[in-house]
Amino acid sequence: MNKNRSKEYDVIIIGGGATGAGTARDCAMRGLSVLLVERHDFATGATGRNHGLLHSGARYAVTDHESAAECIEENMILRKIANHCIEENNGLFLTLPEDDIAFQSQFVDACTSAGISTEIIDPKLALRMEPSANPDIIGAVKVPDGSVDPFRLTMSNALDAKLKGADILTQHEVVDILKDQDRVNGVELFDHAKKEKVKYYGKIVCNAAGIWGHNIARFAGVNINMFPAKGSLLIFGHRVNKMVLNRCRKPANADILVPGDTICLIGTTSERIPIEEIDNMYVSKDDVDVLIREGVKLSPSLATTRILRAYAGVRPLVAADDDPSGRSISRGIVLMDHKERDGLEGFITITGGKLMTYRLMAEEATDLICKKLDVDKKCETANIPLQGSEKSDETLNNVSQKVYSVNGITQKSAKDRHGSLAHKIAKGDENEDSMVCECEGVSIGEVKYAINELHVNNLIDLRRRTRVGMGTCQGELCACRAAGLLCESMEEPGKAKDDLANFLQERWKGMSPIAWGETINEIQFTSWIYEGIYGLKPDNN
Amino acid sequence: MKKEIFEPYNVSDNNFEQCVKCTICTVYCPVLEVNPDYPGPKQSGPDGERMRLKDPAFYDEALKLCLNCKRCEVACPSGVKIGDIIQSARIKYSKSKPKLRDMILANTDIVGTMASTFAPIVNTAVALKPVRKVMDSVLKIDHHRMFPKYTGLRFETWYRRYAEKKQQEFKKHVSYFHGCYVNYNFPQQGKDLIKVMNAAGYGVHLLEKEKCCGVALISNGLIKQATKQAKHNVEAFKKSIVDKKMPVISTSSTCIFTIRDEYPHLLGVKNEEIRNDSELATRFIFRLIDEGKLNLVFKKNYKKRIAYHTPCHMEKLGWSIYSTSLLKMIPGVELVQLESQCCGIAGTYGFKKENYQTSQEVGKPLFDQIENSKVDFVATDCETCKWQIEMSTSSKVQHPISILAEAIDVEATMKLWQK
Amino acid sequence: MKFDNIIIGGGLSGLTCGIKLAEQGKKCAIVSSGQSAIHFFSGSFDLLGKANGEEVTNPLESMKSLPENHPYKRVGLDKIERLTNDALHLLVRSGLNLNGQADRNHYTLTPMGVMKPTWLTLSDFTSFDQKDSFPWKKAVILNFSGFLDFHTLFIKDGLKKLDVQAQIKTVSMKQFEAIRKNPSEMRSTNIAKEFDKENAIEEFAQKANVLSDGFDVVILPAVFGLFNKTIADKLKEKIEKPVLLLPAIPPSVPGIRTQITLRERFQELGGTYLLGDNVEEGVFENGRLLEIRTNNHGDIKFEADQFILASGSFYSKGIVATHDKLYEPIFGLDIDGDSNREKWFDEKIFNDQAFMHYGVKTDQKFRALMNGEPVENLYVAGSVLGGANPLKEGSGAGISLLTSLHAAEQILK
Ligand SMILES: Cc1cc2nc3c(=O)[nH]c(=O)nc-3n(C[C@H](O)[C@H](O)[C@H](O)COP(=O)(O)OP(=O)(O)OC[C@H]3O[C@@H](n4cnc5c(N)ncnc54)[C@H](O)[C@@H]3O)c2cc1C
Ligand SMILES: Cc1cc2nc3c(=O)[nH]c(=O)nc-3n(C[C@H](O)[C@H](O)[C@H](O)COP(=O)(O)OP(=O)(O)OC[C@H]3O[C@@H](n4cnc5c(N)ncnc54)[C@H](O)[C@@H]3O)c2cc1C
Ligand code: SF4
Ligand code: SF4
Repeated sequence: MNKNRSKEYDVIIIGGGATGAGTARDCAMRGLSVLLVERHDFATGATGRNHGLLHSGARYAVTDHESAAECIEENMILRKIANHCIEENNGLFLTLPEDDIAFQSQFVDACTSAGISTEIIDPKLALRMEPSANPDIIGAVKVPDGSVDPFRLTMSNALDAKLKGADILTQHEVVDILKDQDRVNGVELFDHAKKEKVKYYGKIVCNAAGIWGHNIARFAGVNINMFPAKGSLLIFGHRVNKMVLNRCRKPANADILVPGDTICLIGTTSERIPIEEIDNMYVSKDDVDVLIREGVKLSPSLATTRILRAYAGVRPLVAADDDPSGRSISRGIVLMDHKERDGLEGFITITGGKLMTYRLMAEEATDLICKKLDVDKKCETANIPLQGSEKSDETLNNVSQKVYSVNGITQKSAKDRHGSLAHKIAKGDENEDSMVCECEGVSIGEVKYAINELHVNNLIDLRRRTRVGMGTCQGELCACRAAGLLCESMEEPGKAKDDLANFLQERWKGMSPIAWGETINEIQFTSWIYEGIYGLKPDNN
Repeated sequence: MKKEIFEPYNVSDNNFEQCVKCTICTVYCPVLEVNPDYPGPKQSGPDGERMRLKDPAFYDEALKLCLNCKRCEVACPSGVKIGDIIQSARIKYSKSKPKLRDMILANTDIVGTMASTFAPIVNTAVALKPVRKVMDSVLKIDHHRMFPKYTGLRFETWYRRYAEKKQQEFKKHVSYFHGCYVNYNFPQQGKDLIKVMNAAGYGVHLLEKEKCCGVALISNGLIKQATKQAKHNVEAFKKSIVDKKMPVISTSSTCIFTIRDEYPHLLGVKNEEIRNDSELATRFIFRLIDEGKLNLVFKKNYKKRIAYHTPCHMEKLGWSIYSTSLLKMIPGVELVQLESQCCGIAGTYGFKKENYQTSQEVGKPLFDQIENSKVDFVATDCETCKWQIEMSTSSKVQHPISILAEAIDVEATMKLWQK
Repeated sequence: MKFDNIIIGGGLSGLTCGIKLAEQGKKCAIVSSGQSAIHFFSGSFDLLGKANGEEVTNPLESMKSLPENHPYKRVGLDKIERLTNDALHLLVRSGLNLNGQADRNHYTLTPMGVMKPTWLTLSDFTSFDQKDSFPWKKAVILNFSGFLDFHTLFIKDGLKKLDVQAQIKTVSMKQFEAIRKNPSEMRSTNIAKEFDKENAIEEFAQKANVLSDGFDVVILPAVFGLFNKTIADKLKEKIEKPVLLLPAIPPSVPGIRTQITLRERFQELGGTYLLGDNVEEGVFENGRLLEIRTNNHGDIKFEADQFILASGSFYSKGIVATHDKLYEPIFGLDIDGDSNREKWFDEKIFNDQAFMHYGVKTDQKFRALMNGEPVENLYVAGSVLGGANPLKEGSGAGISLLTSLHAAEQILK
């Protein structure tokens, strides 16, 4: 991909998480020329490995007023601009007999002062609203929590950025920051596909690499004090709850159950890990046991609900500059102008924060970039919906007519996943409607659309765009079908087989920590199909 | 070995999650094969259930095409209750209101009461071509269908008049759940049952007012009424089983299946107290023989070649072995076991105009088997299979109990226990 | 209900054991909770494809190097050769047409386009003598339009490595229009049901003959002959070129036909086959199993002189894992496997997974152990046995067939 290597971009943004993609969109909307680079694929960092909770802010109300206020504000904005990426499920803060009911009033007061609407609900009524909740609850408060799909959110921002002229490179890893004396002027990238190094130049380089921002800063010769906090989660096989369930107490392990798309998630644990381990995310047996034990207290039926996967992510927490020990860690947004901080021009870092404050982070970063570039344009991201989220009823109706489908499941699933962009799924013959992934209702048409328009390099990317392989069977049936389609568009069958093997490995990574019950049956069956019948082996291709 | 020690922990209690997506169920679904509008057991069952839990709007009215034959469940290696999942989804999500036609077909007992009172008129009327055409176009009941004839003398009336008194003479007693078909259309089957049970030394009694088991109400979406009748029946069964220590037997596989399994699974009507003692007459008799408590003596001159057809609900119950074992005991019977296949009628399903073609296509392989089997007649435990087979083949159909009634030497059998 | 022998599990091992016993006049019943692994069968019965990391050419010879607790070793290598013959003959008597021999593996082409060593292959499929020589130079790969479960590009890629030029073509047939409308059902068994009706085969063969003009061999997905046993042969008669069938995504059409063939054989021999019923528990007395209880039959007991447990591995629920234990769900028999779940698996999916070796523990005579003591009349056969990773070794069907014949012989002794 020869993306204007000679050109000097206004800004090069490092990191294809929500923050990077959001910043790319904001910059592009303000007329800057933008290059977004990501080492793997969109949402492969913390963005794709979190809880997917569209916080109302209630969780932080008692401990961190500022974050709470930020959350509720962004929460309301995302409902407007990203409605196809979020679900307005509402949430309950439950008090169990072992919790202190006195906390409830403190909690409600704190919420009110942060601008979060609350409603104390009679436990009996709460159980009717959410039958999966622990029947022993002694208190319940309703808050405007929701769920957010990080893959969709990030992708929509990237698509929008692209539409507004941004260039995007995935599978390009920053291996060095280019400097001209005390001014950063570009990046050196390693192209993982071509296995070669390339250089790109820009007036400003924006470090939005989450926890990896630590390394990026090092390349630039500056130091950021990052404190990686690992959090583990479990994905359950289906939606047990309709509303987000929280414990009404000070935040602790495994006290939130978030419903999202076809599944629900219990999380998280929190554990400080050395920075060397941030690329090695495993979930230990103890993590799994804690998650189940605590999760069952929120919703007893989790004890007998199939677990699909376990995974972990790292929170990009930053210690205050005057506190190298990390005792006073900020959970808020961290924006650094390295000119001010380190005397290095042309380099800024945006990190910390939360998935759901990505837009605000992007706004703050873009404001700074514009200031540096002397561009005077207002941020409009809070008002203009993302592609796919244009909310007029007419668009939605048009979509349902345009998506070629006689089948309710693939049609509705596509609309849920792509919002009004679902109309791009080609109207073809009925072949296009045939299901690739039966668990998640992904049609051939949708897979082809993703391959053609959504920056898909491999099966794992395809999964993030369409949910192929995210369902109950974890790829047993669909992986091979999808590989066949991907292979058609790539004409590199040998590579496609490697890709298939990688995909199965990636699925297994999340299954192995919970490999019992149906999971062990499923993986044994899957292995027989791929290795036994198909003869797929990494060394065979 | 007590199994409680293995209490499940994250081994799915949500039965649909046990599905490992092997796709075997789809191979055995008789509807899928002939009607591409039906999403199939896997999609309608475990896959769809997961979607519906995400959003009820994923419910697809095409689920009503499911015959509820449960052949998918029999095949599933993972123990997924696919048929139950589909039927429960219909109950929970379906918005389509039952039509007048569905009400008529579903209310087998009310319609039966009216029809048998005016049997001669009704029988000629529904047999008349113009009437059937009207039913076809107005009610969407397919005109190919012959309604089973309604009898003038209901079984219950016959029993009270001619049989009740004699039953007190026996030492041992059972109750008989005759079902609508025996009552309104074919009392002979009930008479045969009494003959066989009396020969075996049992007095046969009726329940304190039985109601239709409700299978047709369930399949036509009339759940409230079905639940009401189910509760009524469970109470009636309790009076016999718990209070009087009299087990309940039946000659209809569908009624018994509904009462034992669909009541708790679909209607949420608890039946633990009565389930074990509610069964088919063939199983009851088989047990007596198996435990050495009964010997049957057969007539020497009974010689027949009989094909046994396993109705879907018998396949699910796994109980056809009792019927075939009894038939095999008759010295003069040469039994041909037909490959177990759905006949396509599925209760009232096949009566509906929109289903007629599907219904006949589903049954075709079975009809071919029957025509090729060169038997005197077909034996089966289900009355709707009987209608379907008699309508679609040249063969007559008899219930195993009726065959026993004909083949047993009653006096000789009675002598064995009387002495 | 009293039988001579009752077999729990109606898969390959349960059926072979049942057929063997019934052939010897035993009154047998098989109880199976659902359909078995034969439904996914590739078409080839494996004996031993890999030992000590090396591909095996002579399974009988290579067995010598297997560990002592391997099921083959426990059966006794002196008996294995005879049992492989018995197994072949039993399958042939049941009506299966097979190619292959136990002392020399042949190869079959997989849908990934690679050659795999195996023992017996259904005559639907093509067996190759050599791993690296393909008898034809120009191949046409035919697929049905809209059929996603056959991966033509992978096959083409594999053939390229064998120096074969392949071209991919699609065939449309109006018979499949109806199924294609159903988004989840353009699958091999549904296509096979259309071909079962015979008239489609004629039309298809004509099309295939036109499309294969100029090629040496026609490659097709194995979707011929589900309930109709003669279709695969008819196809081959009608197509002018050699036909090479390859497995598609399961369920497998030839597999289901194999299951039906074996089940019918068992029933013809007078066996009772109870499908869709789960054996729930047993009644023991003095180290003997007296009777079993099943879900469908409740209080009606199923008694027998000997019982055979052939309930399969995890995917068939022959053994079950929870977060803190492994167990055999019917009787609570002793398990050969680690109780710590962290030991069950390896991080890399394509490595040898420990759980694949787990199964029910037995004594030397393949009688199940319960609390360390053998149950006198309960034999164990097939993939519910531990001691091998049949996937890595390529020994799935071999273990099932040979251990079940061995169990049958013990009973017949
Ligand atoms: C367990 C857990 C639960 C959470 N739950 C929630 C929640 O419920 N709600 C919420 O709002 N927030 C939640 N968060 C926080 C949220 O996930 C993060 O704050 C947010 O996703 C950070 O996004 P980001 O784009 O800044 O960083 P990331 O998503 O980590 O993005 C950084 C990107 O940079 C890329 N990159 C790294 N190095 C290079 C390089 N050398 N060259 C090019 N690219 C590079 C990475 O591949 C990655 O894609 C949670 C976090 C964790 C860990
Ligand atoms: C997808 C797949 C493909 C395979 N392909 C091949 C191949 O191509 N070649 C090869 O050589 N091997 C293959 N194998 C290996 C296969 O496991 C063996 O070859 C063999 O089929 C196993 O037979 P089995 O009878 O031991 O067990 P299974 O076939 O698993 O049968 C066990 C049966 O027991 C029943 N059962 C379990 N518990 C109970 C209970 N409580 N009550 C009643 N019934 C019960 C189950 O329902 C099942 O029907 C494959 C395996 C799989 C999973
Ligand atoms: S119950 Fe019968 S008709 Fe319904 S899905 Fe199952 S097999 Fe098909
Ligand atoms: S047969 Fe059972 S396990 Fe297999 S796909 Fe159907 S429901 Fe799932």
